Amino acid sequence: MKRMAFPAHQRHEALVGYLFIAPYLVLFVLFVLVPVVWGFFISLHNWHVLGEQKPFVGFANYRALLRDDLFGIALLNTGYFALLTVVPGNVVSLLLALGLNARIRGEDVYKAIFYLPVILSVAVVAIIWRWMYSTEFGLLNYYLKVLWQFLHLPGEFQPVPWLNSPQTAMPSLALMSIWWGAGGSMLIYLAGLRAIPEEYYEAARIDGASTWGRFWHITLPLLKPSLLFCLVMSLIGSSQVFGQSYILTGGGPHYSTLTVVLYMYQTGFSLYRMGYACAVAYVMFLIVLGFTLLQFRLLSARGEE
Amino acid sequence: MRFSLARVVLYLLMTVAAVLFLMPVAWMLVMSILPEHEIFQPVPHWIPQEPTLQNFQELFQRAEEAPVMRWFWNSLFVAGTGTVAYLLLSSMAAYAFSRLEFPGRNVLFFIVLSTLIIPGQVTIIPVFLILQKLGWFNTYYALIVPGLAGAFGVFLLRQFFLTIPREIEEAALIDGCGRAGIYWRIILPLSKPALATLAIFSFLGGWNDFMLPLIATNEIEMRTLPVGLTIFLGRYSMQYGLVMATAVIATLPVLVVFLLFQRHIIRGVVLTGLKG
Repeated sequence: MKRMAFPAHQRHEALVGYLFIAPYLVLFVLFVLVPVVWGFFISLHNWHVLGEQKPFVGFANYRALLRDDLFGIALLNTGYFALLTVVPGNVVSLLLALGLNARIRGEDVYKAIFYLPVILSVAVVAIIWRWMYSTEFGLLNYYLKVLWQFLHLPGEFQPVPWLNSPQTAMPSLALMSIWWGAGGSMLIYLAGLRAIPEEYYEAARIDGASTWGRFWHITLPLLKPSLLFCLVMSLIGSSQVFGQSYILTGGGPHYSTLTVVLYMYQTGFSLYRMGYACAVAYVMFLIVLGFTLLQFRLLSARGEE
Repeated sequence: MRFSLARVVLYLLMTVAAVLFLMPVAWMLVMSILPEHEIFQPVPHWIPQEPTLQNFQELFQRAEEAPVMRWFWNSLFVAGTGTVAYLLLSSMAAYAFSRLEFPGRNVLFFIVLSTLIIPGQVTIIPVFLILQKLGWFNTYYALIVPGLAGAFGVFLLRQFFLTIPREIEEAALIDGCGRAGIYWRIILPLSKPALATLAIFSFLGGWNDFMLPLIATNEIEMRTLPVGLTIFLGRYSMQYGLVMATAVIATLPVLVVFLLFQRHIIRGVVLTGLKG
């Protein structure tokens, strides 16, 4: 009999399973699965929020993106932001972790201080740093001037225009973002450092290896999984940069801080060109997907060694 | 510890770094209690000559144009309710995925898991259109519900549930306890550390979220603190004391959570690979 192959208690268990999963699954389908598929569908249409007609245009939005100068600028700016944050930010995180790993007194206090900015909202961070970057009253220019005079540098100190010049605006957003996020990777590096057996260092010390040699030949190779993880995670994170430029510069001056997500937001929610904005979102998704696959490759390649 | 030059230098460098990291937050706190004439000074007033709560008082007086207390309540309600609902829904799904046999379970779990790599920004436009179709624009539903669909909680809790020995569950089944009873009275209590970690990150995430409240609301009364702050910035950009007082209000709850649960947060970051 068929019933024997699928006894009552199993059917009961399956029913209970579906009941347990149903509330989550409804929301998952509605707010993750449908948006992923629907977003692509929208990107194939000339989809204006207020328009009655939403004609199908195939890949016209994607072809238009290829010729869109502003999108090109946004891509380059996002890449520039990644360049300014990923490696420098991870260097800061690693240095902080190395300092903490030297068994210093008050380690927990230092750790908490370095992690503190991570818990702040991007809005709060932007508001604090808008003041830090103020040309006339900002702390940064004030202390740079003090330092300038202290070092008896030649000439008059010229205040840095931070957010107000196309040359300095993106580096300013990057500096702020490094301060905001360094604590997260620091914790992962610290855990990685703590996992390296002390015997390795002792053996190297007996062999007469220098501090630098020990760092180069023991710490860095053994820290490789943490390094790869943090580097790729910050690459993925920085490709989604939005709040910093939305709040502080609005993409300016002269489009110097226009990022991909900001461009998507502006075409979608200011110009209501939802189809085009979805095409931007999908291009961004492809880029992030590329980085994610790279991460899987790098990390699994490590595991096979 | 023996005295050594290297260690003195190390402490010096770490302390300089700590001062640099702390300075922006400390400056926000100081500015929120500075009277206006002490804010715009060529030399920063780290120690206020006349500390005042005037900036905070003024926030209440401007409640009509900038309802900061309403934003505070919105943020608290959204983050608090969202966290409770997120833990409940994720843990139920995680229990089914880790312990119950049903057709399609592994395929479903694979689909849920694979969406972990999709950034929220990619789907924000369709999510916005869905919220409009549902008539949820400018409601708490719009601020809370989309956040409950994330896959991370399900993934984390499933991993944790798998470490709980099956024998405990089997013994309870024999004693006549149902699946719901096992989930509620055995699995959840045994998972307190994982649930606590998830709760902290969910609360911080909900409180600090910027993009969803930005697109899901446009009524000033329905804004959350982070979004309200940016409206405020445009409108009162010269009244920095006021803006800073609002920023302090937006920071205090997460600061309290951080100070209370520092150890859990720091362990949680390492455990889950989460950042921020």
